Amino acid sequence: MNQQPFFDIFRTGKQEMEKVIAAGLSAGGDWCDLYFEYSVYNDLMLRDGEVNSGGYHEDFGVGIRVLDGERTGYAYSESTELKDMIAAAKAASAISADRVKSVTNISPDISGKEDSRRGRAAGGRVPSDRSLDLYPVSETWDKTDHSRFLPVLERIDSAVRSKDSRIVKVIIRLSDYQSYIMMYNSLGELTVDSRPMCSMTVSAIFSYKGKTENSTASWSHRCGADMVSDDLADRLAEEVVAGIDAKFDARRPKGGEMPIVMAAGASGILLHEAMGHAFEADFNRKGQSIFSGRTGRKICGSGISIVDDGTIPGNRGAGNYDDEGVPGQKTYMVRNGILESYLHDRISASFYGVSPTGNGRRESFRFNPIPRMRATYMEAGDAAPEDIIASVRHGLYVTEFSNGQVRIGEGDFTFYVRSGFLIEDGRLTAPVKDINVIGNGPEALAKITAVGNDLKIDNGTWTCGKEQNVPVSLGIPTVLVSSLTAGGE
Amino acid sequence: MNNTILQNGQISRNGFQGISEEEIAAAGHCLESALAGGAAQARVTVSKNILDSIQLLNGEIDKVSRNADRALSIHLFVDGRYGTYSTNRFSFDSIDEFILKAISRTRMLTPDKCRHLPSPELYARNAVSGRELGLYDRHYECISPEDRVKAAMAGTVYGSDRISSRHTLISEECEYSDSVDDCYIIDSQGFTGRHTETSFSFWSEITIQDRNGDRYSGYWWSSAPAYDRLMIYGCSETALSRAEAQVGATGHSGGKFTMVVDSTCSSRLAAPLLNALYGSAIQQRNSFLDGTLNRKIFPDELTVRDMAWSKGETGSRLFDPEGIATRETDIIRNGTVEMYFINTYFSDKLGMPATVNGPSRPVILPFNRYTAGNGLDYKENGINLQAILESAGNGILVTGFNGGNCNSTTGNFSYGIEGFAFRDGKITHPVREMLITGNMVSLWQSIMAAGSDAREGARWQIPSLAFGDVDFTGE
Repeated sequence: MNQQPFFDIFRTGKQEMEKVIAAGLSAGGDWCDLYFEYSVYNDLMLRDGEVNSGGYHEDFGVGIRVLDGERTGYAYSESTELKDMIAAAKAASAISADRVKSVTNISPDISGKEDSRRGRAAGGRVPSDRSLDLYPVSETWDKTDHSRFLPVLERIDSAVRSKDSRIVKVIIRLSDYQSYIMMYNSLGELTVDSRPMCSMTVSAIFSYKGKTENSTASWSHRCGADMVSDDLADRLAEEVVAGIDAKFDARRPKGGEMPIVMAAGASGILLHEAMGHAFEADFNRKGQSIFSGRTGRKICGSGISIVDDGTIPGNRGAGNYDDEGVPGQKTYMVRNGILESYLHDRISASFYGVSPTGNGRRESFRFNPIPRMRATYMEAGDAAPEDIIASVRHGLYVTEFSNGQVRIGEGDFTFYVRSGFLIEDGRLTAPVKDINVIGNGPEALAKITAVGNDLKIDNGTWTCGKEQNVPVSLGIPTVLVSSLTAGGE
Repeated sequence: MNNTILQNGQISRNGFQGISEEEIAAAGHCLESALAGGAAQARVTVSKNILDSIQLLNGEIDKVSRNADRALSIHLFVDGRYGTYSTNRFSFDSIDEFILKAISRTRMLTPDKCRHLPSPELYARNAVSGRELGLYDRHYECISPEDRVKAAMAGTVYGSDRISSRHTLISEECEYSDSVDDCYIIDSQGFTGRHTETSFSFWSEITIQDRNGDRYSGYWWSSAPAYDRLMIYGCSETALSRAEAQVGATGHSGGKFTMVVDSTCSSRLAAPLLNALYGSAIQQRNSFLDGTLNRKIFPDELTVRDMAWSKGETGSRLFDPEGIATRETDIIRNGTVEMYFINTYFSDKLGMPATVNGPSRPVILPFNRYTAGNGLDYKENGINLQAILESAGNGILVTGFNGGNCNSTTGNFSYGIEGFAFRDGKITHPVREMLITGNMVSLWQSIMAAGSDAREGARWQIPSLAFGDVDFTGE
């Protein structure tokens, strides 16, 4: 990618960046990197049948990080004038300015054999033998005429209302952004990236015989404006009304432990919450994760492989580079049941003596990067989805989710089921909704007893909120977990 | 460095770090530029936040950070249309270019007659200096980087003889931070308002491992608008004791139990209730409290009061983001819903009087239906967690939530919980992998007690609560 436009946007050059790096390392740190960002956000909202609000927001600045071993100094400036960047670099350099003497280490040997591999220089050079172009666009979002989208939103509104007479309210949001990113580090590596993102959410309220229900459909991609089409509008309109009859009929099931069949797609929230966070290497480096010290060990059935992938073209979690300038990668966390790799940023990679996996991500220049997921999914197995359902005598089939959470140390996770069905004698019967499901990560992994052949990546507007918000996506084939606890009456 | 002297004789090392005269001038220029460019009305907000933090891992400095944010937010009303815009570029040239684009973008939208600035008689008139509510602590100006390190180190217990544990200490993470938030609003009807506050906080999270290799984490924190009210000592000790208390957590059978929720997490249950009172939710029929205004929905004892003007207390404010004056008023009085949160837009949409955009410092007044005591003044009668447990007798004490959600339309909820079983008012054992399920209206109709023990420094003053007959799912 041509670097000159980025120098122009940020009104700086290599010589100036070298001076900032020098200021950052002036107190003795062993790594310094700069993260320049100019982001332009647009949004449009249709409410009560009209696109009557919207906006435009821009954010500009540079984040400066100094590493001293595994310790971090971080500061940022909303100006890229040399004096302002140097002031921020000096603030970040404080991490090295006043070392604190180590206290007696009373921590046990919690990292097992991995600990013996530590010792690489902080943030070593990362080999880049390829150049990804995961989100090419013909027109960037900051140059797009947004008036062309008004008819698309109105089309969705009309389509949704025409499909169901019980609809009383519709809200449609279209948001997009274009981020121009330039990264430079103390090894002299310069990386640039131009990242688009588009998200659309359609929410509808239905009222019928005194009862009110809601439904939401969302879609998000790293793409250009040409993807906002009538086809997309019609698909979202269809999706938001689908299943509403079942929601009006749905009840809370009787709660308790039971087999749960996770439908293909959005059920990938199971992987994100129950496993993915616990595989993030910062938690493991600190010994806090329930999976600490378990790389190389068998943790689930040998038919299971779990991937975190930053290389799916156009995917919400994709990145040509991560936010430390490391090329996008596909990382097997679990391969054939064996815990193969944590998700690393440069700090944890240095600690473990491995290469970074491209998981160093951040919300914006205001945040330092930390290990984060990208697109997390399980590879397909060989079971037919209908056979998986048929194998369950009494349980739940869950299809639609809103949010989840995990306690890293304990491994206890939850996710919220917006809709699904009871399984009775191998058949889907009564619809269910609004139940939370709880389990323990390692136990749930071990209880996956069937994996379908229908892997699906969900393209909803998933955002992970670990300290900072970053866009992610997830996916899974139809999966049977032999026992989880579902809330109920 | 230009030191200045404070009135009390302290040296101000840093000076005031909030919004500068230049940034106020930029706001004025922004407003003028908008009106000159064709806006009929406009509101400009300058917000500035400076935050410094020192994070420790196992007694050593792990991260030092300094955040300095500022933004210009512009609300434009052009030809009957409305748009919102923001930038962090403050030069006059950048602002002029930005405003031109913003006005053009606004003209692209569909007109909406409900969009306009508030009625001027609703404006706050008394928010001039930004410090009227006593939320700005000038000690902030005296804090040096060395002071921050000392404050952070004062709270760590890793490797010290201040603690002892039967279990293995895996990690201790703690952080000291201080910040100043400054907000300045002007609009084309002449409103000017300012709100400035400092904040100091310390948190600690400790992870331990028991003899079976199971890990448990505990968390505790203190925050305050004034440095001398910050309670650094004891946070790590409390975090450790909370982690230790969970060791040996087991499954518990499901059923209907009395639920006591401690004040560290009770706001999780208050949030859906207050969110359901927003005009945006009411207008979109996306609220389970739609149609409840002036109706008695909850028990006589339940009163939620917005104490917006409490001097020196976090959450207090004199005006909302539109400049509308806040009030000290009851949101729910003796079980009756007294107000919705209606801003100017939804006032027109709903045909209802504007109130404020949301709660400022909501306080649940204490009561105990078990002992029939009610009508007590806030904080004038002590009802602590232990008193509630003793009143409730047997049940489940919830000390944290793990995921879950509440359907904003129906009020149906389901949450993962952690906590303890209790019998005869005494905790018996920790429980794990449990869920509660129900409906938010029914839950609050079953409220039995509210304590006087809301956490200091919290914007929402939600105390320990007790509810009768809640559906728990367990093993």
